[in-house]
Amino acid sequence: MTAELNEAVAGAQAGDEEAFRFLYRSLQPALLRYLTALVGADAEDVASEAWLQISRDLPSFTGGEFRAWAVTIARNRAMDHLRRQRRRPSVPVPVQALNDLAADVDTADRAGEAIATESALALIRTLPPAEAEAVMLRAVIGLDAETAGRVLGRRAGAVRTAAHRGLRRLAAILERPAAQADTRDAVAPRPRTDRQVPHAPEAEPAEG
Amino acid sequence: MRGDDGMHARRSGGPADRAESDRLLDAAPVGTPPETDADPLTRLLSAAAAPAAPGEVAGEERALAAFRAARAAAGTAPAAAAVAAPRPRRRLRIAAALSGLAATAVAGVAFAAVRLDHRPEPVGPPATTAGPTGPSGAGPAVTGPSRPAPSTPAGDASGAASPPAPTPSGTPSAAAPPPAPPGGDGRMAGHCRAYLAKPERQRDKALTKPGFADLVAAAGGPEQVEGYCRNLVGTPAEDPGDDSDDDSDDDDSPNGTSPQTDD
Repeated sequence: MTAELNEAVAGAQAGDEEAFRFLYRSLQPALLRYLTALVGADAEDVASEAWLQISRDLPSFTGGEFRAWAVTIARNRAMDHLRRQRRRPSVPVPVQALNDLAADVDTADRAGEAIATESALALIRTLPPAEAEAVMLRAVIGLDAETAGRVLGRRAGAVRTAAHRGLRRLAAILERPAAQADTRDAVAPRPRTDRQVPHAPEAEPAEG
Repeated sequence: MRGDDGMHARRSGGPADRAESDRLLDAAPVGTPPETDADPLTRLLSAAAAPAAPGEVAGEERALAAFRAARAAAGTAPAAAAVAAPRPRRRLRIAAALSGLAATAVAGVAFAAVRLDHRPEPVGPPATTAGPTGPSGAGPAVTGPSRPAPSTPAGDASGAASPPAPTPSGTPSAAAPPPAPPGGDGRMAGHCRAYLAKPERQRDKALTKPGFADLVAAAGGPEQVEGYCRNLVGTPAEDPGDDSDDDSDDDDSPNGTSPQTDD
């Protein structure tokens, strides 16, 4: 995968359109999902901006992990987008919606069916941003903790911890039988994050 | 409560520690579908990392159009970012040092002039400079004396030819306007200026970069490039080479746009 990618990067830098197409197809799905976790329904637009910039800056890419480079660009675009919007990465997920999501997953689980990608992403998106990002970079983009840490500007250990917390939180959501879900602890974590930084509208949504 | 909870050891609380989480996270992007009785968290992650759906690559043609446009824009000023972006801080530092020098020199001249002429008021500084106090704060462009050709745009300007949207971490894109109007040979001329702007010792290396591939092809080989370029754009003396001091050792790490992941 990485060798193929590097080859395609070199090709695209030399102007090979098919190589660029390969890069796009290899990266875009995961990129879009990652962006969905960051900006929700605007992910498509932000992804377009990201590819615009990837195209333009490709000549300046000098090696290393291309996915990490591209995802960093996408992340910067997402942060700009959120800053423009002047709001949190997402509106808090209503309790009922969260329950519905958990119920979707639970139903699929019970029936031995595949969990829909959208449901999975929507659930991950209910995590606090730092945890959601860590989970997405690790599980969906496929970066290791070191590389994900470079993208996020954090230590690998911090990424591992955030991802671990996120997984435990997800497990807890999944564990709750949908039928019995009540409002006791069903509130999405995001509002709590808000309360921690009540007067910091400029605060980096995913704490860098 | 569900009767089958006992079947899923991880049901309560999820992964026990970071190592277990790491294993789950590492397994997810590999793409092997989990067994149907895998625990819900494993299946959730696997679903999140499932193979692409067609709708997810719907923007392909738009992305390719962007790619083409970027190539076309780069044509007039070749592989700009790759070959020429100076490291901003260093350049500033050097500029500051130079302006300091210039200010000192000018002040010295002015002082000497006063002494020689015994005039009560100091005479104006030499024509080439902006005045004793000017340069220190005004930046590199006015620090005339030691920089004979402040407008040697080939190196700097190349970056400015790309579309105006912001770069991820701010290259010094304030540089200069694009060097030359693209005439018939404008594209190659742009390549040539960038090539000739490089100090001699960097030129061979530069020609191995993808951005110069077209130029090498047009000239008929790396050895022909110099002659080809001098024909095309004339011989702009060697003065652009005075940039060499600041970029000579960092042309491989072009600018801040690339997250340095290769360390």
